[in-house]
Amino acid sequence: MSDLALGRAALQGQLGAEGRPAAASLDPRRVLQLGLAAAWLLDGVLQFQPFMYTKAFPQMLTASAAGNPSVIARPIIWNANLASHHLVPLNTIFATIQLLLGLGIALRPTVRPALAASVVWSLAVWWLGEGFAGILGGTANPVDGAPGAVILYALLAVLLWPADRSAQPPPYVAARAVGVRAAQALWLVLWLSLAFFAVIPANRAQGALSDVLTDAAAGEPGWLAGLDKGAASLVAGQGLAAAVALAVAFFVIAVGVFLPRRAARAVLGLAIVLAALIWVIGQALGMILATGATDPNSGPLLILLALAYWPASTGGPELAR
Amino acid sequence: MTPAWLLDIVAAAMLAVAALSAARLVAARPWRRGGVIIDTDVAHLLMAIAMAGTLTPRLSTLPDSGWGVIFGLLVAWFAVRVTRDIRRSGLRALAGGHCAPHFVHSASMLYMVLAMTAAASPATAGMDGMDMSGASAMTLRYPTLALLFAFILVGYSIWDLDQLSGRRYAFGAARVPGIPLPAIADSAALTVPGSAMSRGSGPTTPTTGYVRGAAGAVAGPVPGEGAMGERLPRTWGGHRGGHPPGGNRAFLLSPAVTVGCRIAMGVAMAFMLFIAI
Repeated sequence: MSDLALGRAALQGQLGAEGRPAAASLDPRRVLQLGLAAAWLLDGVLQFQPFMYTKAFPQMLTASAAGNPSVIARPIIWNANLASHHLVPLNTIFATIQLLLGLGIALRPTVRPALAASVVWSLAVWWLGEGFAGILGGTANPVDGAPGAVILYALLAVLLWPADRSAQPPPYVAARAVGVRAAQALWLVLWLSLAFFAVIPANRAQGALSDVLTDAAAGEPGWLAGLDKGAASLVAGQGLAAAVALAVAFFVIAVGVFLPRRAARAVLGLAIVLAALIWVIGQALGMILATGATDPNSGPLLILLALAYWPASTGGPELAR
Repeated sequence: MTPAWLLDIVAAAMLAVAALSAARLVAARPWRRGGVIIDTDVAHLLMAIAMAGTLTPRLSTLPDSGWGVIFGLLVAWFAVRVTRDIRRSGLRALAGGHCAPHFVHSASMLYMVLAMTAAASPATAGMDGMDMSGASAMTLRYPTLALLFAFILVGYSIWDLDQLSGRRYAFGAARVPGIPLPAIADSAALTVPGSAMSRGSGPTTPTTGYVRGAAGAVAGPVPGEGAMGERLPRTWGGHRGGHPPGGNRAFLLSPAVTVGCRIAMGVAMAFMLFIAI
């Protein structure tokens, strides 16, 4: 309803909180939950794209089995075959589930069941849809989205679970549900794994990074393709140096949450900038504009995650404690 | 391709939004003295009809040029409203205000009309209206804009859902008794010639304001805007006598219904943008 009908004061009276700065009193964890909800909603809508209703979708699923041990690959192939035979209903169900997860997290009364369901769904998709993002096949590339965007959804759902472990104000949102130590451990494992994946043989080869960037340019609008190609030419033949630089950056970020508040903020700022660069240049905005993207990829989720670890300005112990 | 039945379902949902918006407009009784027309309901009605026609060609109504003019006017209308909101409340009006989402909705629709029209192939050039089904599937020029609009639409939809479930929006029409004159002096409410207010009903007579909708957007703000609103206290929903309407009508006219329509339209628009990228 527009306030045209009532006048501003009337609207304030009717809508209760309308006159108050709505965001001012909003819990930071709730804001991040809404970010996660938006990501799921985007996922759901992207899954409705025409591309997903073609054979290309089950082929994409099949391709994710490559390089995985047979015990992992067989269910992926089974899932891809199932999707191939019942493409329209199954894809519609997949898309609807993701849409409902987003809507469920955004609706306050259903946030818990939706977050819990999102963890289950994420794990299923990580295996059956992404083949663990190539982690077991030695092809995982953090610039390309490793360890898999969908597992970051699960991680965020756990960290943003609406519960408070301690009565004391935690140093950051991510520690509220699982505690400081567990939150630090999860952050460390994630970013150290990224540092590791950055320097595995497949990613430190001479043309590895430039190839990823060149591939990302395919089908993108001119400005984005130009960015990708420019970056690709910049790192052409510098695969090892680029991989080491990335690994060092990821390592610094990994230990960032153990640093005092001020230093932690600087490191988290670095994480946000790096994730944004990876998303725009390395992942070409999740390749949504080139069609065929099932999600916005890992960049936005890494940013969301970094925000969940952003130290509160007041309250809570120093991060290192 | 995205199955036609799926597009039909979304089109049906948009028709439901259109019907709901029309019902709200009727329930507001604009033909009666002191009736109310709400600009967002008019915007919802028009957008929902256009979206249904885009999704299902047999529901197509106006040619692209007609929709282009309508959405251009809505964009201008809501741009003015957003600017006023920002002047009053600062940038938080973009998140907490009502007009910013409607501005984005209108701009998205205008973009869809223009981008699709420009990209129309010779095979579809003779068709009336937008069409994203079948062989004549719509593709959008400047897809980065589509992505940007889709992100913002999703963001607003999620925000609205949170606020709706947090009971920021009432599910019943509330009474708005005696608003002090200065408080509504900046209202953009207008009266229709012949309405109770334009005849100068006394300040103690509870009545409702007639608010310009899309038709008003055509002309833009006119001299004297808000003048009638300064005189009179108002009630919501066109109910006379200062008592809030009850039952189904109260629910129909509640802010929550408008926000619910906005959420449905936001998600549907993001859907349309993504399948047309």
